[in-house]
Amino acid sequence: MRTLVEVVARRDARGRTVLPVVRASGQLAVRRTGDGAVHLVATAFGPLGGDDAEVRLVVEEGARLSVHSVAAAVVLPARGESPPSRQVVRAEVAGVLHLAPEPTVVTARAVHVAELQAELGECGELTATEQVLLGRSGEAPGRWTGTTRVVVSGRPVLHTTVGLGPGAPAWSPPVAPRAYVSTVRVGERQAAVQTGVDAVRLPLPGGWVGTAWAGELHEAVARLAAVTRERDLEVAR
Amino acid sequence: MTAALLTLADSRLPAGGHTHSGGVEQAIAAGMLTDPASLAPFLRRRLTTSGAVAAGLAAAACRAVDDTDVVAALSALDAEADARTPSPALRDAARQQGRGLVRVGGRAWPHPAWAALPAQPHHPLALGVAAAAGGLTPRDAAAAAAYLSVSGPATAAQRLLAMDPITVAAVTARLSPEVDAVAAASTVGLPAAADPLLDLLAEVHTVRTDRFFAS
Repeated sequence: MRTLVEVVARRDARGRTVLPVVRASGQLAVRRTGDGAVHLVATAFGPLGGDDAEVRLVVEEGARLSVHSVAAAVVLPARGESPPSRQVVRAEVAGVLHLAPEPTVVTARAVHVAELQAELGECGELTATEQVLLGRSGEAPGRWTGTTRVVVSGRPVLHTTVGLGPGAPAWSPPVAPRAYVSTVRVGERQAAVQTGVDAVRLPLPGGWVGTAWAGELHEAVARLAAVTRERDLEVAR
Repeated sequence: MTAALLTLADSRLPAGGHTHSGGVEQAIAAGMLTDPASLAPFLRRRLTTSGAVAAGLAAAACRAVDDTDVVAALSALDAEADARTPSPALRDAARQQGRGLVRVGGRAWPHPAWAALPAQPHHPLALGVAAAAGGLTPRDAAAAAAYLSVSGPATAAQRLLAMDPITVAAVTARLSPEVDAVAAASTVGLPAAADPLLDLLAEVHTVRTDRFFAS
């Protein structure tokens, strides 16, 4: 099933953010939940193997947009040989974008491909967090591949693809975590390197990218918070 | 042209690669790498992430030599290399090795494209230019990059753990089909495979004062 979500955030004459476009079709609905804030709501089980979702976000200069989801996305395999499910977020950001969906849980046999393509203008700000859990409680892990590409004023500042789960080449003992979290932040001053237990924050031009992993999601979140220092994540929530 | 490829991938080429362990020194310190059995998965991890990225960049740099604006093409690839290498320690390591290869490659295979490289280029870019200057193909450049992503670290592990050289050679040789597969797959597009574990190991390693290797 194909899903398409489109949201445009614009600054009005009084300096407030309005959302002239809020559209969704397929398996996601969008609800306005505040000034410049929307929540994505799943209208069906899944995503299921073979599902294809695209979220297009435009944040114009001077506008702010926060995108959340109301519940964890539980990725389920299709019957038989399950093809991957995909979710692509394409964001054009001249204002401020916070992207903080609830965790993605990839159940046994499911294969999920996530992608964030963000193009920032000179004054664009981005905070994007991602939380992944392989398998529900007591269940075998599924497979997740996530690509993040952030371009600022035409110059790539981050482009990474992380593969998790059985069969992913860099997911092997002794480091084969069930839980993975990552936050990328652009639009402030460049942060210094910070290392912690199974967590690292690395500098980006005008920001940082933090990554942590653990057996359980709450541990990974705590480890990431320890290297990114608290409130950065709070801002995104 | 095979001899040029062998020269490029030869650890005796004095490009400075022998001072880098590719994360092996820190993986040993962290207790993740202890013996030949744990060496193979570590090398595979490197090969399929930073090895694939290096192979892709090397192939693209080799192709860029024929571009109408070589300087712009190589500069764009250097930015793509930075975007794929957010760890400052790994960037430094890649640029140190790039500079080392420019020094020897420029003398070994004179070519105008050397002057088109940015100052202290990422190693795969220098490798791609060396391949082009030596009359090799993008696929050859990718092969050299993929091979070097495991051969140097394997030697470092052998030295640090005093492992049997024959065993280590066998571990590396058995990875050959996977090295070939990575090289072949990486010549299409620019892979961005990342391993946050290698980033963390590199950053913990770089602040140590008791290390033998530069990275």
